[in-house]
Amino acid sequence: MGDFWGPDLISDLPQSIIESILVRLPIRDAVRTSIFSSKWRYKWNSITKIVVDEKCVPPSNDRTINEKSLLKFVNQLLFLHQGPIHKFQITNSDLQSCPEIDQWILFLSRNDLKELVLELGEGEWFRIPSCLFNCQKLIRLELFRCELEPPLTFKGFMCLKTLILHQVLISPEAIETLISSCPLLESLSLSYFDSLALTIHAPKLRSLYLEGEFRDLCLEDTPLLVDISVAMYMTDDIAEHFEQSSSCNFTRFLGGVPNLERLAGHIYFTKYLSIGNDPGKLPVTYRNLETVELYQVSFEDMKEILVVLRLITSSPNLKELQISGSSNIPTATDAPDLDFWSKECPSDCTLKQLKVVKLTDMCGVPHEMELIKFLLANSPVLETMSIVPCMYVMESQLKMLIELVRFRRASARAEIVFVRD
Amino acid sequence: MSEIDMAVIKPEMIKAYVWLQISDGSVQQVEQEIAMFCPFICHEILQKGMGSSKNNAICLPQRVSPSLLSLILDYCRFHQVPGHSNKERKSFDEKFVRMDTKKLCELTSAADSLQLKPLVDLTSRALARIIEGKTPEEIREIFHLPDDLTEEEKLEPLKNTTDDPRIRLLNRLYAKKRKELRERERLKNVEAEDEHADEHGDERSVDDLLSFINGNDRDPKEIKTTKNKKKNRRKKDQQKNSLKETSELNKEESNGHDIRCQNAEADRIDDEIDPALQEKIDREVEDFKRILNSDWPKRMQELLSSSGQERKTMLFSTNGTSLPRRRDCMALFSCLYSFFSHMILLPSLTVDILNIIWA
Repeated sequence: MGDFWGPDLISDLPQSIIESILVRLPIRDAVRTSIFSSKWRYKWNSITKIVVDEKCVPPSNDRTINEKSLLKFVNQLLFLHQGPIHKFQITNSDLQSCPEIDQWILFLSRNDLKELVLELGEGEWFRIPSCLFNCQKLIRLELFRCELEPPLTFKGFMCLKTLILHQVLISPEAIETLISSCPLLESLSLSYFDSLALTIHAPKLRSLYLEGEFRDLCLEDTPLLVDISVAMYMTDDIAEHFEQSSSCNFTRFLGGVPNLERLAGHIYFTKYLSIGNDPGKLPVTYRNLETVELYQVSFEDMKEILVVLRLITSSPNLKELQISGSSNIPTATDAPDLDFWSKECPSDCTLKQLKVVKLTDMCGVPHEMELIKFLLANSPVLETMSIVPCMYVMESQLKMLIELVRFRRASARAEIVFVRD
Repeated sequence: MSEIDMAVIKPEMIKAYVWLQISDGSVQQVEQEIAMFCPFICHEILQKGMGSSKNNAICLPQRVSPSLLSLILDYCRFHQVPGHSNKERKSFDEKFVRMDTKKLCELTSAADSLQLKPLVDLTSRALARIIEGKTPEEIREIFHLPDDLTEEEKLEPLKNTTDDPRIRLLNRLYAKKRKELRERERLKNVEAEDEHADEHGDERSVDDLLSFINGNDRDPKEIKTTKNKKKNRRKKDQQKNSLKETSELNKEESNGHDIRCQNAEADRIDDEIDPALQEKIDREVEDFKRILNSDWPKRMQELLSSSGQERKTMLFSTNGTSLPRRRDCMALFSCLYSFFSHMILLPSLTVDILNIIWA
C-alpha cells in the first residue's frame, strides 16, 4: 500500500521531531498513533508529557463508569510507557481519591518527574503519598484538594520553582518549612487556607499569590519579589485578634520588597495593612512599583486611607492606579477630618509617571473626593481618570460632579471620564 | 576613516553575506544577519570561520533542498526583524504553514537539521493539527503509511477506532472473518505443497477443529479425521507462530508456552484427562462453539440470560442497560479462562476470542 501512494512521508523523521508532534496531540490521539503502521507502533511510548483531562475517555453520564475507564486508561498507559516522564497532569473532575493514584505517583517518582499537576474531583481529598517527596527533580508542583504531609526527613525540593497549592490541607509549620526549604522557589500561590499565620522565607521568590483567611502575613526574606496579589478574607475572630496587635502590618508585609513592580490587594487587604501602628514615612521607596490595584478600600476608616496615601507617596514611578471603594452612602452627621490630608501629604509629592487612574464604587464620601483632588493636583502627566460611581447613589452623583469640576488639575491633558450606567 | 565618512557610506554596502552550499552542489549567497538566525549556520560561521567566500561555503545538511532553503530564509527574514508585534508574527506563522503535507514534513526535517527550533515547533504544531482527530485510515492516506500491522497488533488495549461498542464488535467480527479466510488460503497453499493427493483444502470449520481436540468420537457432525498427524502438527506450528504475536496480550502465556510445547509432542492429550473433567470441558466447548457461530442478537440474549451465577462476580457492577457489550466480553472471558485452566488450547479459537475480548 505504501508503494502505491509514494514514499512514507513522516515515519522516518528523527525521534525528536516525532516526539515534538506527539506531545502536541491530546494523549488519546498520541496513543492511537500506535496503529498507524509497524514503525509507529511504539513511537508514542517515550513521550515525556502526559496530560489526562476530560477528553481522555468517552464520556458517559455515570461518574463511576468514567472513573473506572479513566483508571484503566492511565494504568495501561503508564504500563506501556517507556522512558522518563517529565510532566504529568490530571485534570478530571470524575476522578476521585483512589489507591491507583498512589501507585501512579510512585511510578512517576521513579521516572524523573519534573512537573506534577493534580486536580481531582470534588469529594474526599487525596492524600499525597510520601513518595512524591522523593522527586528531587521536581520543578513545578500544582495541587488541588489534597492532603500534604511532608515526612520529617524531607529536606526540600532543590529544584522547585513553582508551587501552587489550592485548597490543600497542610499544617502551618509544614507549609513554612516547605517554602523555606525550596531554595529556587520563584512563584508561590496559596489559595483557600484557613486561619494561617504565614512567614515567608524565599530568597528567590518573584511572584506571590495569596488568597484565603490569613491571620498573619509576614514577608521576611523576599528581596526579589516583583508581583504580589493578595485576597484576604477575614472572619470575626481574626478581626478581633487584629484589634489587639500593635506591630505594624504594613512594614511587616511590604517592608522588605523594594523591587516590587505590581501590587494587587483584594477584599480586606487594605484593612489588614492598616492595622498596627502608623509607620510614618516609609523607609522603603518602591522605585519600580508601576501598578497598584486596591479593592474594597473603606474611605471611612482613616487608617485605611493612610495606607493608601503612604503607598502612593512612596511610589514615585507609579503609572497606573486602580482603587475601588466600599463605603456607605454619606450621611450628614459624619464630620470628616479633612485637615488630615494637608497634614499627611508631603508637600513635594509629585506623581511624575501617573498616567491612568481608575476609581470604582465611589460613593462621594468626603475622603474619596479629597483623594481625587490630591491625585489631580499632583499628577502632571495624567491622561485618564475614570470614575465609576457606586450604583445606589443617585443624588450624590450630581454633588460629586459639582465638586469634581472645581478641582485643580496639574495635567493639561487629563480627561476625567465619569461613567454612568 | 573619520566618523563623517562612515555616516556617508550607505548601509547596504556594509551588509555582510555568507556563502551556503546546498545538497545539490549549488552555492548561494545570503545576507549574514538572516542566515545567522539559524543556529547551525551561526555555529559554522563563528566556530569554524566558514562561509566567507565561495570556496569556503558552508555545507548545509543533506535534508535542506533549494526550495526548502528559500522557505526557511523567508521565515528567518521575517522573524529576525525585531519590530514585529506578537500578533503579526502569529499571523505570519499561520500563513507560512499553509502548504501540502509532504512539503511540511520535509520542512520540519530541514529546520531540525539547521537546529531552527522555533520553526520546528511551528511545523510540529501544524502536523499535530493534521493528525488530531482523524481516523487511522485517513492518516495512512495523508502520510502514505503502509498498513502493515496484523489484526492482533492493532488490538492494542488503548485503541478505539470508534466509541460505539457495537461497531467495534462488528469490526472485530469482520477482522476475524477476514483472518479466517486468509488462514484457510495459507493452509491451502501449504497443503498443496506437500500433500498432492489430498484434494480438499482445509475446509474445517471451528466445529471440526474442536471435535479434533475432543477426540473425534463425540462430535455428531461429519468429521474429516486427519489421516496425517504430520499435517496437523505443521498446522499447529503455523498457528502457534501466528499466536506468538498475540503473546503479550495473553495473560495465560506462561501456561500457554508449556502447553504448546507439550502439544507439539503429544498428539493426544485427552487421554490423560479424566472423563468427568472431559465432560465438563466438552460442555463448555459446545457452549462456546455455539456462541461463536450464532449471530449477534441470539448471542446477546443467551449471554444475558446465562450470565447468572458464577459469571456475575466477574462482571462490572453497572446498571443493566448500559454495557451489555462488556458483560458479553466478560462472559466470554470467564468461559475462556476456565477453558484454559483445563489446559486445552485451540490456537485459532484463542485468537478469535482475543479478537472479541479486547474491545
